Amino acid sequence: MRLHEYEALDIFENNGIPVPRRGIASTMNDALHVAGQIGYPVMLKAQVLVGGRGLAGGVRTASSPDELQDVAEAMLSSDIKGLPVLKLLVCEKVEISKELYLGFTIDGYSGKPVIVVSTEGGMLIEETAKTSPEKIASIHIDPSFAFYPYQARVLLRRLGISQQLITPWTDVIGKLYNVVMRYEALICEINPLVVLPNGGLIAVDAVLEVDDSAISRVRFPLPDRIDRIENSLERRGREIGVTYVDLDGDIGLISSGAGLGMASTDIIGEKMMKPANFLETGGGITADLLYKCMELIMMKPALRAIFINIYGGINPIHEGAKGVARYIKEHKVKIPVVAKALGNRQEETWEIFRSAGVHVVTEAATEKAIERLYELVGRG
Amino acid sequence: MSILINDSTRVIVQGITGRIGSMQAHWMLEYGTKVVGGVTPGKGGTTVEGLPVFNSVHEAVKETGANASVFFVPAAFVLDAFMETVDAGIKLIVIVPEHIPVRDVMKMRNYTIEKGVFALGPTTPGVLVPGKGKMGIMPASMFKPGRVGIISRSGTLSYEFAGILSENRVGQSTVVGMGADPVVLRNLADILELFEEDNGTDAVIVVGEVGGEQEEKAAGFISRRMSKPVAAYIAGRYSPQGKRMGHAGAIVRGTSGTAAAKQEALRAAGATVLESPIHVAEWAIKHKLS
Repeated sequence: MRLHEYEALDIFENNGIPVPRRGIASTMNDALHVAGQIGYPVMLKAQVLVGGRGLAGGVRTASSPDELQDVAEAMLSSDIKGLPVLKLLVCEKVEISKELYLGFTIDGYSGKPVIVVSTEGGMLIEETAKTSPEKIASIHIDPSFAFYPYQARVLLRRLGISQQLITPWTDVIGKLYNVVMRYEALICEINPLVVLPNGGLIAVDAVLEVDDSAISRVRFPLPDRIDRIENSLERRGREIGVTYVDLDGDIGLISSGAGLGMASTDIIGEKMMKPANFLETGGGITADLLYKCMELIMMKPALRAIFINIYGGINPIHEGAKGVARYIKEHKVKIPVVAKALGNRQEETWEIFRSAGVHVVTEAATEKAIERLYELVGRG
Repeated sequence: MSILINDSTRVIVQGITGRIGSMQAHWMLEYGTKVVGGVTPGKGGTTVEGLPVFNSVHEAVKETGANASVFFVPAAFVLDAFMETVDAGIKLIVIVPEHIPVRDVMKMRNYTIEKGVFALGPTTPGVLVPGKGKMGIMPASMFKPGRVGIISRSGTLSYEFAGILSENRVGQSTVVGMGADPVVLRNLADILELFEEDNGTDAVIVVGEVGGEQEEKAAGFISRRMSKPVAAYIAGRYSPQGKRMGHAGAIVRGTSGTAAAKQEALRAAGATVLESPIHVAEWAIKHKLS
């Protein structure tokens, strides 16, 4: 779960990391009020969970109440990469003498946490890695060991950081590491970490992504995970316990695995049709779950066909078929439904599907099933 | 021959008294796997599917001579059970459950390296040697004995590839699910190495997906070390950026982890990149693998 910048800044502040004075606003009047308390000039930052926000007009400055009114109003009625701007973070515009980068991530290949620092703040770290790799240093942490400040000092010396900056920066690294441990972070980043004219450091931006699998054991308050999913269909998917990703086509998809679901959307796309969604159930199929999955994918208007692609390994696919059949009969579904279902109890599953008018494909290749789908509905 | 599972593999099922654990113990036995017992703390002394259940892994090892373990343990208890299993001397561990915190997986991985244990997962369908045995949840009907190895990040796609090969009379030596989490207990290149050294395997299929850098790193191994033909498929070309596609590890971040980058790396390493799973049949026939 990726937190909003304002939520992450609160967490950073509670863990002793210096952050700017700020407030959150969802109307122009709120924004004026917050800015009045902070004092001008202020930064206005759209709280949307997409990358590249700055370049898309999501970060702006206002030097007076008049200017703020115009800017805030424009931002609050805009959207950034398709997401409406519902909240603005209004914060103090700090004086910058230098911008640094500090990030924590997980190196999936070595299976170790890694701390990354750079003297080039304010730009994408991937870009710096390409253009000036000598300005980046990183250190892997032993997962069953711990992090100690000496590691940060070694890291910073490697970058040629001055002694007077090493002490405050080491302090921020230690505090960021505490946030990582307390919140089970997968990614935690300050970009830029600003050096003030007086030599102090301040976190001007905050990125925090919490490990979904560890949320239940985080002992500190976190925002509601389901609440914050902005797409209502994706939210419904999470509620019933499946992964649903909204796409812009007209072929509905239910798959019993992530890889199979991705391959299905790829092949549908290759055949010049468009998937309406990605949906994968994982290992929890029951008759009731697939009934709800049918309900969910049918919420999308103007669906032309449905493709069900499931394997009976851990999943009782004959049970799943019962749920689909019940939905089709109860709702008199008229669009074609094609199903490929293989594995444990496959024959029984095919019978149930056929009894509901589903076109059953018994070959292993998903391509064959999608060819059948194409014969039935064409490119559209 | 095969990798990971052989005639001397003796399997225990951890979490055998649960709904999924007992069902899967049944299917594993039916497939001919040498399952010798199960472990659920507090349920020792009972039996499931005719198998003795023990309170601890140490006890199970002592009584049954088990040397391999497959997990159907709730995610929150996996770390503890895993450490117990390694300490009991088990050398092959398959972690089927998903949603295990990444921090736990990192600790588990670290410990396996220290102790010389081979572990697969989390979020893996397990490993299956056609006609011999299986540890995990793979549906038996998809597989036939033969000489092609499969390594897959996705469970369902491992069934799909095996199924297409089997329909075309191309059998498999061993099918391995490496797991779909951002951190897995064994990397793709480690499993490729086992297949390269296995004299029962003539060629290998890598089934990858978007996210992470397993396929890119494996490409390095393929160009340096693999003498056997490798075909690769990457799922997720149509996956939108920044969305998790079901698997915790399947996420494209900016320009990293894309299907295109992985295909390019594998192609440059000399692997045949398959645009769709169905193309694996032609590839296998061309390499005379049937």
